[in-house]
Amino acid sequence: MVSARDNPYSSDRVLRVRYRFHADDWARLIATLTRHHGRGALVGEKGSGKTTLLEDLAIRLRQEGRQVTLIRLSAEFPRPPGAYNRAFFASLTPRDAVLLDGAEQLRLLTWLRFRWRARRAGFLVVTTHRAGRLPLLHRCTTSPALLCNLVSSLGQSLTTEESVALYQRHRGNLREALRELYDQQAKNNTPLLSFPALNA
Amino acid sequence: MKNCELGLFSGNDRTAYKPGETLVLSVLWALPVKPASLEVRLFWFTRGKGTEDVEVVATETIAANAPAGEASVQFALPAAPYSFSGKLISLLWAAELVAEPGARSTRFEFALSPTGAEIVLGKPNQ
Repeated sequence: MVSARDNPYSSDRVLRVRYRFHADDWARLIATLTRHHGRGALVGEKGSGKTTLLEDLAIRLRQEGRQVTLIRLSAEFPRPPGAYNRAFFASLTPRDAVLLDGAEQLRLLTWLRFRWRARRAGFLVVTTHRAGRLPLLHRCTTSPALLCNLVSSLGQSLTTEESVALYQRHRGNLREALRELYDQQAKNNTPLLSFPALNA
Repeated sequence: MKNCELGLFSGNDRTAYKPGETLVLSVLWALPVKPASLEVRLFWFTRGKGTEDVEVVATETIAANAPAGEASVQFALPAAPYSFSGKLISLLWAAELVAEPGARSTRFEFALSPTGAEIVLGKPNQ
């Protein structure tokens, strides 16, 4: 059996693989962001790397001396935590960057209120499944070749046929494709629970 | 940064312990300048398919008065949780030496369980 700690597709290993972005891509993204007065959206389907790219952007903005706040929304937690209250928004300055992951979770009116409250921040960048809430900064896309490349980064390999089939099975969601590979690695297991003998 | 070295070792090369035992670690550091802080954190963390979990259960601060030196720290190991591995999740114990500024670190991993060995889920009793 391949234990969780040794599984090459464990979440800690997958999270170490960052978004495939080059210096030119970063320059273009920052230029677009500046052109739109620090407002923009990273758009893409589930499992296309939006959150990873947003996290990488957070690192870049911190390195530039920005005060970065990354707010994560999901289907389980569709509203910003209570800490992001009026006082938080009132304290924002042009040095602040507010990054919102999962903007599609907010209903339109809630989103409009959020955007208004964050108006003092120098940057407001969101991830979302569909374009429209803020100017498009970058569209995250996937491909069987990218899946193959990510698997290679994890020290594993896929044939072109395997990569295409896996990609199609998960409709381009690379996160789910990598989870299937995790399960494939782990499936040679016996459903028993055992403790080593106490007198061992 | 060059010439930065951190070391964290158990005195007798043990990597498996039982709850309630004392974990004694040797700490070595050789840094370009005297560290602003040097501490050893005892913690457990998870690895696997899902979101990682981590909890620091104890911290020992080392009085580092020079860029290089050595010291010893010890921790009374808690009763739980045990180290285990299954196909979906593993729980691991470690101590980590962290030097600031720069967040330089090194880690010593070990197993904690009543038998002194990692519990393996899915492995038939022998």
